[in-house]
Amino acid sequence: MSNPEEAKATTTPHVVKEELMASGNWVKLEKTTYVDPAGNTRTWETVKRTTRQNNTEADGVGIIGVLKRTLHKDCMVMVKQFRPPLGCCTLEFPAGLIDEGETAEAAALRELKEETGYKGEVVGVTPVTCLDPGLSNCTTQIVLVNINGDDVENIHPTQELGEAEFVEVILLPLDEIQTKIDDLLQKEKIMVDSKVYIFAMGMAQAFFKPRELPVLKQ
Amino acid sequence: MEFEESGIGEECGVFGCVAAGEWPTQLEVAQVLTLGLVALQHRGQESAGIVTSDGGNPPTYMSHKGMGLVNSAFPPDALLKLRHGNLGICHTRYSTTGISELLNCQPFVVDTLHGRIAVAHNGELVNSRALRKKVMRHGVGLSTCSDSELITQLLAQTPPMEELDSPDWVARIKNLMTETPTSYSLLIMFKDVIYAVRDPYGNRPLCIGQLVPISKLHSSGAGEEDTEGWVVSSESCSFQSIGAKYYREVLPGEIVQISKHGIKSLNVVPRPEGDPPAFCIFEYVYFARPDSIFEGQMVYTVRQRCGRQLAIEAPTDVDLVSTVPESATPAALGYAQQSGLPYTEVLCKNRYVGRTFIQPNTRLRQLGVAKKFGVLTDNFAGKRVVLVDDSIVRGNTISPIIKLLREAGAKEVHIRVASPPIKFPCYMGINIPTKEELIANKPQFKDIAGYIGADSVEYLTVEGLVTAVQEGVAAMQDHMGSKKSRVGHCTACLTGKYPVELEW
Repeated sequence: MSNPEEAKATTTPHVVKEELMASGNWVKLEKTTYVDPAGNTRTWETVKRTTRQNNTEADGVGIIGVLKRTLHKDCMVMVKQFRPPLGCCTLEFPAGLIDEGETAEAAALRELKEETGYKGEVVGVTPVTCLDPGLSNCTTQIVLVNINGDDVENIHPTQELGEAEFVEVILLPLDEIQTKIDDLLQKEKIMVDSKVYIFAMGMAQAFFKPRELPVLKQ
Repeated sequence: MEFEESGIGEECGVFGCVAAGEWPTQLEVAQVLTLGLVALQHRGQESAGIVTSDGGNPPTYMSHKGMGLVNSAFPPDALLKLRHGNLGICHTRYSTTGISELLNCQPFVVDTLHGRIAVAHNGELVNSRALRKKVMRHGVGLSTCSDSELITQLLAQTPPMEELDSPDWVARIKNLMTETPTSYSLLIMFKDVIYAVRDPYGNRPLCIGQLVPISKLHSSGAGEEDTEGWVVSSESCSFQSIGAKYYREVLPGEIVQISKHGIKSLNVVPRPEGDPPAFCIFEYVYFARPDSIFEGQMVYTVRQRCGRQLAIEAPTDVDLVSTVPESATPAALGYAQQSGLPYTEVLCKNRYVGRTFIQPNTRLRQLGVAKKFGVLTDNFAGKRVVLVDDSIVRGNTISPIIKLLREAGAKEVHIRVASPPIKFPCYMGINIPTKEELIANKPQFKDIAGYIGADSVEYLTVEGLVTAVQEGVAAMQDHMGSKKSRVGHCTACLTGKYPVELEW
C-alpha cells in the first residue's frame, strides 16, 4: 500500500518552454510549457508586455500618493479614466510603465507629475509584486509618495497628459476612502481597482476598528 | 498685571470658521476652531465649547464642551467626533465663581421654527433683567442665568413680518439689536452660514480673517481662488496661528453673513442719534493680546504710546525704568523711550505659579505674590527705580512687590500706572470687584503712595489714555484715505459715564 503523501511527487514546478503565439505593439501571447508539482508537463496561455526594460524586474509602478496640506485632511490621490478592456471608467492609483534607464522611484515621480500635476517625494517602495498571475507575468512596484500641498507648485497643479490620455484626478480624505468609494459606486458605473479597494478597507480598519466598541457591530 | 491677581475677568472669546469651495470640505474645520480657541485662551480659561455643522439640509450639528483649558477640554476623541464639519463656532469662557457649570457652556444650540441655531456670545446685556422678564412673559422658560441663553431665545422669536416658510435672519437679528443696545459680539450659526454681529456701540471686538494656503500667507499673491475658508474671531491674534490673513473688522452695528461663497455685509444698525461708538478701552489697556489689531492699530503700539504719555504727564527723577512682567512691558518701554532712561528688568516671574486671588486672605495672598516673583538684585541695588504697571485695582499685589524691591536694596521705588484708576463698575462684560474694594474709592487713595509703600504713585489721566488710543485711529484713517467714521471708546469704569442708560 503506497503512502498517499508519496503519490504527490516532489518535483519543483518550473517552466520548460515559451512559444510566441501572437504579438502586438504593447502585448504578446505565449504558450508556456511547464512541469507541475506532480511531475506532469502541461501548458498555459500567458500574456506578457513587450515593454519591460532590462534593468528592472517590474513592468511598471503604481503610486500611493498622499497630499498633505496644513490644516487640511490628508488625501489620497486617485485617477479616473476610461479603460478600453473593461469598456468603462476605473478608479485607480496613478500608474505607468517604467521607461528605459529609470528606477521605480523615478518612474513613479514622473508618472505622478504627468497624470496629476503633483510633485512628490518618495518615502517607500514595495517589493516587486504581481498583478494578475493567472493571466500574465505583469509586475509592479508600488511607490509610496508624500506630496507637500503647502508648496506653491502643488497648489494649482497642471497635468502633463499625452494626446490619448484623459485622466481625472480625484482626491479622497484618508479616513473616508472606503465610504467615498462606496458612494461613487452608487452614483456611477465605475470599476474600482482591487488594490485601491483593499487599501481603502485597510485604512478604514486602521482608523476605526481600534475605537469601535466590540459590542456595536453593524 | 494686577487684573490677573484681582480676579477682574474678561468674559469670553468667540471664534468661527466656514470652509470655502466644495463641501464636504478637506479643510480640518474642527482643528482650525480648536487652534483659534487656543489663541484666545487669554480671554477665558474656565471652559470651552465647539459646535460644528455639516451645513446640510437639515444640518447635522455635533458639539463638544469641556471644562478647563482648551487642551484638556478637547481630547483627540472629541475632535474626531467633530471631523465632518464644514463650518463651526466655538467659545472660551471666563471663570466666575468656580462652580462647575458645563450647563452654562457656550455655544448654545436651540431649535427654532426654521431650524437649529447655535450661538456664541461675548459681552453682557445691559438690560438683561428686564429682557428676561419680557422673554418669560412670552412663555419661554430659561434654564440658565446667562445672557447668552437669553439672546438665543430672542433670536428664536418670530419677527412680526416674517413669512411662514422663509426665515428672515436680518429681521430677527435687527429685532434683537433693538431690544438690547449693548454689549455683544455674536456668532450665530444657521444651516450653512454664520452671521457675525457686533452691537451698535461696538463695545466688544470682532474681526474677520481669510484662510489662504500657507505659502501665500505673507505674499500679496493670494487671489479669490486661493481662499480656503473664512474665520471670525474676537481678536486677530488667532489668525497667524491658523494661516489666515487679517481681512477687516465687523463694524459696530453690522450684521455680516459668512458663507462658503464669501463675506457679505447685510446691514448696519445705527446708534441712536448723536451717540458715539463705545469700544471698551480696557481691551487696549489690558485684556487683548498685544499682537491683536483693533481699529487698524496694534494693541502693543497703543500700550507703548500710553507709556510715552505717562512719561510726559508724570516724569520721575530716577536711574532706571522697569516693568511688572509681562503685560506692562510695552508701557514701560514707552515710558523709558520717552524719558530717555534705561529700561532694565528687575523682577523675574515664575510662570508656573497660578493666580493668587484664590488665596483666602490678604496675608496669604501677599505671600503668594512673593512666590510668584523673584528679584534681579544686581540690576537695581542702590538705584532709584520707576516701576510701570498697567493697573492698580486693589493695591494688594503691588505692595509686596515694592517691599521685595526695597529689601533687595532699591534706593527708591516709584510707581507709574499706565491707566487711570478704576472707580466704577462695568456692566458690559468686565467683571470688576465691588465699588468698595476698588482702591480708588477708598479714603487711603489720598495717600496711595504711603498705602502701598512707594515713594510716589501717579496714574495716567483719562484724557491721556484717550489721546494715546485715538491718535492711532485718526492716523490710520488718514493713511488709508478712508472716510472719517466716528471714533469713541467706553471709559465708564474710569469716568462713570456709561454709553447707554442702565436699568436700575
